Order: sequence, then structure tokens, then C-alpha cells
Amino acid sequence: MTIITAMPPPESPGKAAQIPSGAGLQAVPGPLRFLGRALRTLWSNGKARAGLIVLGLIIVVAVFAPLLAPHSPTATSFTPYSGPTGVNWFGTTGNGQDVFSQLVYGARVSLVVGLGAGAVATFVAVTLGLIAGYRPGIVDEVLGFVTNLALVVPALPLMIILAAYLQGRSVWTIVLVVAFTSWATGARVIRSQTSTLRTREFVTSAVFSGERLVRVVFREILPNMTSLVAASFFSAATAAVLAEASLEFLGLGNPDTVSWGTILYYAQQQNALLTGQWLMVFAPGLAIVLLMVSLTLINFGVDALSNPRLREK
Amino acid sequence: MRRPPKMKSAAAAAAIVALLAAGASACASSSGSGTTASTGGTLTIQGDAGTPTLTENFNPLQPATELHGTYLIYEPLEIPSPVNGSYTPFLATGYQFTNPTTLVYTIRQGVKWSDGTPFTPADVVFTFNLLKKNPGLDGNGVWSQISGVSASGNDVTIRFKAPNVPFAGIIAQTPIVPQHVWSKIADPVKFTNTHPVGTGPFVLSKFAPTQYTLAKNKLYWNASKIAPSTVVFPAEASNQSTNQLAVSSGQFDWSYTFLPDVKKTYVDRDPAHNQYWFPPGGTIGLYLNLTKAPFTSVDFRRGLSLALNRTAIAQKAVNGYMAQASLSGLILPNLSKWLDPSLPDQGQVSQSKPAALAAFAKAGYTMRGGNLTSSNGTKASLTIVLPNSFSDWVAAATEVKNELTADGITVTLDLPQYAQYSQEIQAGTFDAAIGGFGGTGSPYTDFNNALNSTYAAPINTPTANNFERFKSPAVNQALATLASSTSTATQQQATDKLELMMYNTVPIVLLYYGGSWGLFSTKHFTGWPSASDPYTLPTNYNNALLTVVTHLRKA
Amino acid sequence: MRYVLRKVVLFVLTLWAAITLNFILPRLMPGSPVDAALGKLASAGVPITNAERNAIEIQLGVPHSGLLTQYLEYLRNIATLRFGTSYSFPSQTVAQTIGKALPWTLILIGATTIVAFIIGTLLGVYAGWHRGRAADSSITIGATFFGAFPPFWLGLLLLYLLAFRYGWFPIKGGFSPGASPNLSLSFLADALRHSVLPALTLVITTMSGWVFGMRNNMINTLGEDFVTFAEANGLRDRTVALRYAARNALLPNVTAFGLSLGAVVGGAVLVEGVFSYPGVGGLLFIAVTNHDFPLMQALLLVFTLSMLVAIFIVDLLYVRLDPRVRT
Repeated sequence: MTIITAMPPPESPGKAAQIPSGAGLQAVPGPLRFLGRALRTLWSNGKARAGLIVLGLIIVVAVFAPLLAPHSPTATSFTPYSGPTGVNWFGTTGNGQDVFSQLVYGARVSLVVGLGAGAVATFVAVTLGLIAGYRPGIVDEVLGFVTNLALVVPALPLMIILAAYLQGRSVWTIVLVVAFTSWATGARVIRSQTSTLRTREFVTSAVFSGERLVRVVFREILPNMTSLVAASFFSAATAAVLAEASLEFLGLGNPDTVSWGTILYYAQQQNALLTGQWLMVFAPGLAIVLLMVSLTLINFGVDALSNPRLREK
Repeated sequence: MRRPPKMKSAAAAAAIVALLAAGASACASSSGSGTTASTGGTLTIQGDAGTPTLTENFNPLQPATELHGTYLIYEPLEIPSPVNGSYTPFLATGYQFTNPTTLVYTIRQGVKWSDGTPFTPADVVFTFNLLKKNPGLDGNGVWSQISGVSASGNDVTIRFKAPNVPFAGIIAQTPIVPQHVWSKIADPVKFTNTHPVGTGPFVLSKFAPTQYTLAKNKLYWNASKIAPSTVVFPAEASNQSTNQLAVSSGQFDWSYTFLPDVKKTYVDRDPAHNQYWFPPGGTIGLYLNLTKAPFTSVDFRRGLSLALNRTAIAQKAVNGYMAQASLSGLILPNLSKWLDPSLPDQGQVSQSKPAALAAFAKAGYTMRGGNLTSSNGTKASLTIVLPNSFSDWVAAATEVKNELTADGITVTLDLPQYAQYSQEIQAGTFDAAIGGFGGTGSPYTDFNNALNSTYAAPINTPTANNFERFKSPAVNQALATLASSTSTATQQQATDKLELMMYNTVPIVLLYYGGSWGLFSTKHFTGWPSASDPYTLPTNYNNALLTVVTHLRKA
Repeated sequence: MRYVLRKVVLFVLTLWAAITLNFILPRLMPGSPVDAALGKLASAGVPITNAERNAIEIQLGVPHSGLLTQYLEYLRNIATLRFGTSYSFPSQTVAQTIGKALPWTLILIGATTIVAFIIGTLLGVYAGWHRGRAADSSITIGATFFGAFPPFWLGLLLLYLLAFRYGWFPIKGGFSPGASPNLSLSFLADALRHSVLPALTLVITTMSGWVFGMRNNMINTLGEDFVTFAEANGLRDRTVALRYAARNALLPNVTAFGLSLGAVVGGAVLVEGVFSYPGVGGLLFIAVTNHDFPLMQALLLVFTLSMLVAIFIVDLLYVRLDPRVRT
């Protein structure tokens, strides 16, 4: 299980795996055209559209943080424990930092960890899944064993121990820890899809026509799983956002960085609720929720892409 | 969430104020205020860490794991106040150094153990010999200093290996256990003592996983002065902010916790009864690894010291509850009577950029292109290690980083869990570290722990004392003088010397005082320690418990 | 039969690997239990001295034997269910410590998972049946939203509002201070009152997975021929929805039930922490901060074992539910 809330993968990608995409079976379009079409299809899905808009907004905030934030996120020059004022819209931390500016800059860390860990986890999942699915026998058995092992060790306890162990706690440490604990579900799904596709005519004919293995796997099989890959990316990214916040909240991250998780950590440490600074707790939590919601909504669109039955009428 | 440890407080657990030991002093006032007030009522004390349920352990010789109520069940010989140094006698009625290596206690008569057996000097001798036989119980290293214990009549005589007058404070605070019970215990190190028999004012009456209750000991030698009839210790949550909510909602008569904006979050919730007292209990400092360049240079250290705005650091770290630290190494005002009057501004140093730059220049570091750079082109940089769960230290370190960065020094914060931090500082593999200094209440013990060269182990050999690895024959000399002297004048001279060394050579860049976070309600009991009656620190997890509870009166 | 045998061999192998991993991981952590114990003293303001360090080392009895010896002893202990003495709770064995905490977590997680499963599945059926309509959209969007709540965050908010501000529920713990766990009615009522907020937090944050799973399965099943056939034969809507579509759509959700356990454990670690609940989640965190190897190992083993067993049972159930995998 990759997700540390008790959320099974938002859509059960395994289901999609049993219904190979009808769209991808024809001639493979160029990657760019494919991406464009995928985006268009996503956009046509109402939920995914909402998700893309929210995610886009968060990305804009992260990129233009220096322009949007009224103050430096680390400057400790304000009156500590202040409620919302004209200068500090969301109040200040116990160290006299501006909460609103921290919120704006915090988007960067959450995005980097979410998308970064999602990408790393997906890369591992795709690689292992493709190899295992295309090479039945001992390779598949061993990889399946490793995947099951990774699924069985509970992710959050594992993350807690890893995060406590790894030195030089930076954002990248968290990316790796989260990626390390969240690739297994995706690998399982991709493996089963690959082994289904392996016996399909267009693959066997490609093999018989003498195409190289790598080419077969990457040109014939992979493009037919784009939506699966995308689905495992988005669910891993969603999990990563939450995992980052949880680790930071537990104080296992780097309290010296500015992220939504560390704002919550300090809110807890400085007991913002007791001092009545509810915005310091509410706002970063809501930001995390919005980012996760946007990723999940996009995933709805991705599911619809792979499973015509889920498309909106 | 585990347990974000209590905000670093730094009041001493085994608080020792010993220097006044000079000769026989301690037949001072007996505990309590003297007036016979009406008694009865329940006293509720916050602070025993349930995790989340309590582990039953009333072994008074295991301060790391015992429940706090143990301090009300067992008594030591005497308790020196960590604030004003006066001794409160318990099982001894007085003591005297017959010479610098011989300490004689006069034992109180007419005291009974809570099971009715009379208490005798033999119990005292037994307890000290128990520590000798079981080094696992000797957390204060008593037997590293003494060579023998014997009783004759009402006297117990302690013999020291070498003169160490200030150590009397630690001897006096050793809790005394009954020979007739403990001589039958096979392994006293693992003994959890679930049916404690003590001489103290309270006995265990009921233990439940999240709360235990003590009842007044009818046989207590001073029973008429004890106001509460029961003392209740509910388990603290493992989550610090939950505990703060519980404290704020007024569930306790006595709590010990840092609260942000204490007036609003505590006092205003019951203005008629809720009060707080936050005296300084220790000093937080920036430790530099004195075996590494450029920290080997006194001028460089002085430069760092001058570059810091300590008021701002204290403001960020502890909500401005605490003042900046005196670089004399003394906690002021607690120990002000030891302060060398020749130190300017009571040893407080204010930020001065020009002076800092001048000191750095003397150390060979000048500003080049915005970076403080040495003559051979090395840029000044340091990594500060500190435990990530001590949030006031993190806040202080962040402020230090901001201020030093402004002076062209590259500062990195390394924030591991405590265990890794502890390993790094003890092994001496760090550049710089935030750490606690002093807080024992005894200038000798504070300076000796932090500066005595004998503790300065080679790098990679762990040492918990003097981990910055300071070495100075002059300091050792002064410490030795202090240890062997029973004359106040000689003690003052030696202390002055140590304060000057501390101030001038900056072995540790002291920053601000750590607080002692006492929160009291006068609804049921009065007589709490306060700024106007500072008879002890408000710490409810060490033997200040016994001192305070014996001072309380029914409201 | 070969399928079952293979699963058994895999189960044993995975078990061994997990057990070994549990042994290695805690030992990779820097710092020793003694350092961690010193940290507890330091946070209480006790000056740390060498004498204190020595005394604690003796009290904890930290092993000085080699890793291989420790590993063999660890395996022997697991076989005999003896996990030694924990450093954080020296007066009781690890088995006792976990034994006291486990029922709390089992009941909390068990009850919330069942409630979340039932509510989530019903909502999913409803949304799937009314797909594309307002009910579907509001259920899906709502579930997406609540499912994204970090459990510790929701817990904090509920704790503050319902426990601290309005005082409807206790602030912390699994039962009132002073009470001893027993099976009397008054104690059970007290424990129930203490479990409302953590349970609510877990139900709200775990429900969405079941909603999505069930909704998608419903939609897939509704496209199948037999459902269309039933509809065409003029069966009532509700009959089709519940008797035919939902029953078939439920299977994948049941298998997901086993797998979701690990995730629930993760959420429970945080939620138990927020509410200072006396379960194994909070215990794990204590074990990690105290570098309590014996306790950490035993806890990870408990978590892993329960996951393994759940997956194993699901694998075997699968044989019964889907004859195709038997070959």
C-alpha cells in the first residue's frame, strides 16, 4: 500500500488493467501528439479539468512565490504569536515569521516532493513492472517477491525509521524515502498489464518480425499503458504529498525548510490552537488537501482515459 | 508525535547548591511555614509521562524511569535550594566538614519507615553501600568521589578520596532506602519497587495505568505540617500540545510546561487563581568544537560572540520569557552573589558588528566579497548540530544562523533526532552544537562538568562532560582550589577566576537562559514558590517536589 | 493445490524476509538507546554527565554482542514469542507491553474499517448507479475532498473544536485517568466516549477509498451484458442495482479490504499520537524515539505479520471466488 491514509489507490488501477485501452491499440502516434491528445481528453473530463486548474494555480503560486509573498518566509522580524493583521494576513508564528508568506513558499516543497517522489516511484514501478511482466519465470518470481515484500511492510512505520536514519535531512531525502516506500502498487499493476499485452497479436507479430526486445517493450507495450503509468504517477504523487506532510509533522523532516508540513509542525510545537491562531493550522492543512484533491481529480480523468465506461456522458 | 520532549528547560533534576557548605551551616529553618493551617484536600500534579500509560516504578535510585511521586515517598538527608542555596533538612538535622575529606551528618531521630520500622543511621550507610555494589544505581557518580561510609551513634561519616566540598550537595540529596526491605532485593538495578516503603510525607495508595494516588503518611515525622491529604498524579499524554490544552483547561494545581503567551493561555482562564513563575533554570549555549580551526582561536570565538544579538535570540527561542545569558557562566539572578563585580554589565555582552569584525580580523578573517574569509582564502563556515525536537533550540539556532549569515559566515543547521545528536557531540565529530550549560545550582559543578580537562576525551572517544574539549591548566587549578576549600573567601576568588576565563576566552558562546516553567493554581493550596518567595525552582519532576509540597498550605 | 502450495512457500519466504528486514532496519538508526535515554533526561533539564551515562548503560543492559549473535537470538526469540525487555518500559516484557496496547488498536481500527467500508461501499453503489447525476458528482467530489484530509490534521481540528473548545469529548487517552481497564459497563462506556474522536477521524479519512472503488466497479459491472439483460427484462431498478450489479462489483472491494490494512495502520500511528490513544501506533513512535530495538522489532513484526496474514487469506479466498486462478 503506498498511501498512508487508509486510502486504497483512488481508483483501483487493477481494474483498468483488465480492460486494455481501446484507443491506444492503433498505430502509435508521436509522443508529443499523444501527450496533446491525452491532455485534450483529460480537459474534456469535468473533474480532471477542475483538478488541472487547481494544480495549475498551485504551480503558479510556487513558481512566482517571490512575487506573491509579501515577506520573506524565514525572516523572524514580526511580533510572534500574532493573529491576522493588515501586515501579516494569516498571522505570525511563535518565531515571528509571516504565515502567509510561508504558505506561499511552502507550495514549492510540497510540489517538488509530490511530483518528484511520484516520478521516481513511477520510474521504479514501470521498470520493474515491465521486466517482470515481459520475462515470466524466475525473473518475474523474484521481482514479484520483492514487490510483495514492499507491499507487506507497512509504509509509514518504514518511512519513520528511514527518515530517522538518513542523514542530511533535505527535501530530496524525503523524496527518496517516500519513493522507496510507494512504488510497489504501481509495479504490480504494470506487471499484470504487461503480461496481458505480451501475448497480444501486435506484440507477438512485432517479436516475430525481428524487432529488438527494448524496442518491443518501449514502442509496442509501453505506449499502450500510458494511462496506467499516469495513474500510478498521480496516486504515488498524492501519497507523497501526504507522506511529506506527515513526516514533517512528526518532526522527522527538516524543520529548517519551509513547507506546509513544517508550518503544521510548528503550529503543533507552538500550540497555535491554544493561542487562538487557528489559521496557522487550518490554512496549510487546507493547502495540502487542495493539492491532493487536484491530483486525485486528474486521476479520475486518467481512469476515464483508460476505461471508456468511466467516461462522463 | 511522539513525544516532542518538553521544551528544553534546563532546571537541574538533582539540583545542587553546595558551595555554601562552609562548615556547619545547615540547621536552618525546618520545612513549612510554621503556622498550623487546616489540612486536607487533594493536590493534583501534572507531569508524569504516560506513554500513554504509566509504567509502575517507584525505585528512587533510578531517576530516569521512576515516577515523580517517588520524591514524596522517599527523603534524602537534606535538599539544597537551587535558587538561594539554603538547605532544607530532611533525614539529617545538620552536617559538618571536620576536614576537607571528612563529612559528618547528624541523623534525625524518631523517624519511622511507613511500615512502622524505626529509621536508623544504619539505613543511610546501607543506601550508600548499595550504590557502591550497584554502579547502575549510582547515576551521580557518588563512589567516584567518596571512599567509605560509616555510622557511629547518631552520626554518619562520609570519607572522600580527595577534597570535594561542593560534592556534599549531591551526597545530601541521595534518597535513603530501608535496609530491612532492600537487603532482600536480588537485583536492585531492575527493581521496580511497586510497594514502596519510605520515610517521606506520602505513601502509595492506588495505582492505575493512567493515574496514581498518594495518601498522607500518618507516621511522617512532620505530619502536622503537611497540608494535602492526597496527591494525584495523572499521566501526561505522549503529545505535548495535548498536554498544553489539558494544562490550559485547568485540570492541575501544579503544572510544569512551556506555554506560549502564558497570560492569555493560562492566567486569563482563571485570573483569581492561576499564576505562573518562570525563573531561569539553566543556560543554553553555542558549543564550538575546540579541536577544530578556526574555533581554536579565542579571537574567532569572541568574534562569534560579539556578532550575536542575544536579546533577539531569547525572544525567538522562549517567547521573551527569559533574558540573555551572562557570559560569566552564572545563572542570574539566582547565583548573583557569586558574580565577580569587576565584570562589565554583569557579564552580558551586546551585539557589536565593528567589534566582531575587529575580533575576526585578529583571528585572520576579513570580509571579502561578502564572505568572511581567512588569509589563505578559506571561507568561514560552520554546521550547527542540534536535536530537532527541542523547538526552542531550533528557533535559537535559526536566529543564530540568520545573524551570522549577515556577517558573511556560511551556517548550516543539522537537525537529527536526539540520539544521533548525542552521539555526535559526545564523540566530538561536530563543528558547532547547541547545548545546555549548568543548571545544577552549584557554580563548581557547572564549571567542572563543562570545563574540566580530565573529561576532554580524544575525538571519537565519547564523553558527556566537556564535549567541546576545552583544556586549560589554569581552569583545572581554579576548580581544584574550589573543590578543596571550605573558606568562603577562597571559594569566591576561585569562582571569580573561572567567571573571568569564561568571559574572556569564550569556551562556550552562551546565549540565553532556559526557563523553568512553573504554573500554579491557588484554588486549593497556596505557598507556591514565586519571584517574591523563591525557595526553590518550580520543577515538579525532581526533589523540588518534596520541598514545595512541604511548604504548601490549604487555601 | 499447486497454487496453494506456491502461495504457502511464498508466504514463508516473505515472512522470513520481513522478519530479517525488521531486524536490520532499527539497527541502521544512528545513536544508541543510551543516547536516546539521555535525551529524555536532557529534555527535562537534567545536566548530562558521564556518571549518568554509565548508570543508564547498566540499567538498560544494552547488548554488546555481535550482530550475528543478536540475529540468531532474535530468531530464537521470535520462534518462542519472547521479545525480551523493552528499554522504554523496563519493568515489563515487550510481549506484555504490546499485549496491553494491541486490543485498543485492534478495536479502533477494526470498528472504523468496518464502518468506513459499509458507508463507503453503500455511497459507492449509490453514486455508481446514479452515475453522471448530481448525487454522483457530490458524492465523488465529497469523498475526494475528505479522503485528502491528512488524518493528523483532521484529528487536531476535531480535538481542538469538540474536545477543548466545547468540551464534548475528553482531550486525551483511551479511558479516564484513575480507571483500570475492565469489562464493566461503566468502563466500556467511558472507553467508548474516548474513542469517538479518533474513530471519527479514521472513518472520515478512510472512507473515500471504498467509495471510489465501489463506484468504479459498479460502473464497470453495469456495462456487463448480464446487467443490461436484467434491465431489458424489466427488473426493478433497485433489484438490478443491489442483486446483480452491486453483488458482483463487491468482489474486488473485498480483496482490497485485506490490502488496506497496512494503510490503516499508518493512519492509526498518527491519529493515536494526536489523541494520545493507548494503542500500538503510539507505542511505535515511542519505540522509535527511544531507540527501543526490542519494542520496535516486535511492533514492526506485528504490523507486518497482520498484513501478510491478511494478504494470504485474501489470496486463498481468491481461489474460492475465482476458479480461474486455480490452475
